[in-house]
Amino acid sequence: MHIVLGMLVVLVAASGAFAGPLDTPGATKALTCSACHGMGGQSPSNAMPIIAGIDRAYFKKAIEDYATGKRPSPEMEPYAKMVRDLGVDDVGAYFAAQPRRPTSLPVNAAAAERGKVAAAQCAVCHGPDGRGDAAKGVPDLRGQPEGYLRQQMILFKADKRSPGDPNLTALKALMKTIPDDTLRDLAAYFSSVR
Amino acid sequence: MATMTRRQFLRTSAGGIGLGALAGCAAPMTGDVAPKSGRRVVVIGGGWGGASAAKYLRLSDPSIDVVLLEPNERFVSCPFSNLVLSGVRTLDSITFDYRGLRRHGVKVMHREATAIEPDAKRVRMGDGYLQYDRLVVAPGIEFQWDQVEGLAQAKDTVLHAWKAGPQTTELARQLESMADGGVFVLTVPPIAYRCPPGPYERACQVAWYLKTKKPRSKLIVLDANQNVVSKTALFRGVWSKDYPNLDYRPSSKVVKVDPSVREVQTEIGDKVKYDVLNLIPPQRAGTIAVQADLVGADKRWCEVNHLTYESVKVKDVHVVGDSTIGLPVPKSGNVANNMGKVAAVAIASLLNGKQPPPMAPGNTCYSWVNDREAIAVVNSYRIADGKVVQIEQKLTPGPSPEWGQNAIGWATSIWNDMLA
Repeated sequence: MHIVLGMLVVLVAASGAFAGPLDTPGATKALTCSACHGMGGQSPSNAMPIIAGIDRAYFKKAIEDYATGKRPSPEMEPYAKMVRDLGVDDVGAYFAAQPRRPTSLPVNAAAAERGKVAAAQCAVCHGPDGRGDAAKGVPDLRGQPEGYLRQQMILFKADKRSPGDPNLTALKALMKTIPDDTLRDLAAYFSSVR
Repeated sequence: MATMTRRQFLRTSAGGIGLGALAGCAAPMTGDVAPKSGRRVVVIGGGWGGASAAKYLRLSDPSIDVVLLEPNERFVSCPFSNLVLSGVRTLDSITFDYRGLRRHGVKVMHREATAIEPDAKRVRMGDGYLQYDRLVVAPGIEFQWDQVEGLAQAKDTVLHAWKAGPQTTELARQLESMADGGVFVLTVPPIAYRCPPGPYERACQVAWYLKTKKPRSKLIVLDANQNVVSKTALFRGVWSKDYPNLDYRPSSKVVKVDPSVREVQTEIGDKVKYDVLNLIPPQRAGTIAVQADLVGADKRWCEVNHLTYESVKVKDVHVVGDSTIGLPVPKSGNVANNMGKVAAVAIASLLNGKQPPPMAPGNTCYSWVNDREAIAVVNSYRIADGKVVQIEQKLTPGPSPEWGQNAIGWATSIWNDMLA
């Protein structure tokens, strides 16, 4: 009985949710990220995004924008500079390779239902269920924490996220037409998509 | 509890289970408590640095046996404990157990490490001992009671609440029981101490509480330092705007306390009367670090290698967290968590004959200025010529509920990172 349990422990450890720190250079370079983004980028909180399984080009652009101050964030700017210092390709490759699971945080079902209806206007860029388009740099919104999605939408609407970025002009114009309550519903919907 | 044979002990511990049953066992152990068969790392201290190190050692190389010595059966978070003082949070909401570490195969023993024998590579727990290949010492801080006259005799009644737990609840109770019009005195020791912004966050929480619940009361902050040592402009901005009941006095080091007349005295002879006193004493590394002579000439803090956290004084012994000195980093929980992880990867590398990858810590630190809003300071670092150097420090422009939500996100995530 104990031998079987012992083997199970070893199996669980070997098949852990993310590649062991010694296995890839990127994993070691990403050690300090888990404090906010969770192990392997699987963020358990409502505020910080899940970066496990992130698109490599999207990650690189985000780090570049954070580091240069183009996407203002006192929290991310110092870390973005650190990632550039360590090698954004290594760190990005690591997170891109991590298996992504949707957030385990629940959303209000009624809000998600309303959001589903409202999401029709997002489909032209983000796809019918929010999966995005990696080739065009449009992120996958599915299963992200509701709090993070809502906060980013508010920043887009107020033109505080990457002010002056021409790629985001159309998005921000659309956001300005959407009431804050609807933004909440949209966040609930996309967070709930599986 | 019935005596357990060594065979029984080893059988249950091999499966990563069974030690939980021993956790509360008061039966003394003598001799080699758990003979080592393969490579083993012992970790002293199950706080921010120790828990992180223990877990990440198991993740780095599951063939390494990891034993964690932590006297407390539960972990209580100092970060967010100031919200317990103001009644915004309960102590329960910031209290966690060690099941997660046990699931990773860490053998958690609720016993105190009483001595280190580096020549024999053993850690003593009274009459019993454990052998190690590498040792991680993460004992946190101990208070220098003798630095304030009258404190050593009164340390059971003069509260620090600088190790979260029963003192946090007791201080909250004293604050709540204080009469409206009473005076709360908070004293800040000279740097370096655990959590530079901590006392000022506490001042915000107490002032916020008093403002609504005891509007005739005031809070006097006696700071040994010449100014607020962390997030300076942000804290002072909040105080002048929101807390007229807060009287901040810098360069006012408290050197004497007399509980019989409820009075403290500063270095320049000022006498300040209190109804409730929170005296945060000067600090040094945890006692085991001093016993093992891991500390420097002033007997306070441990110098370490910046890449591996190995003690500069004792081979195969690594020190992480608040008890270290020499890196340009604050004594914060986030730094301790990062030191623990980097040390774990370094130790696993070394035990496998590989070069440790050069990796620096990082620091994200939120302070709550009321029940909803927080401010933050963030520092990132790199390795240059074998030393940790700062890349950048950034501060939030002011308090906002957004940083408050991010503070909750940070806490959820990092508690998970170290204990789940």
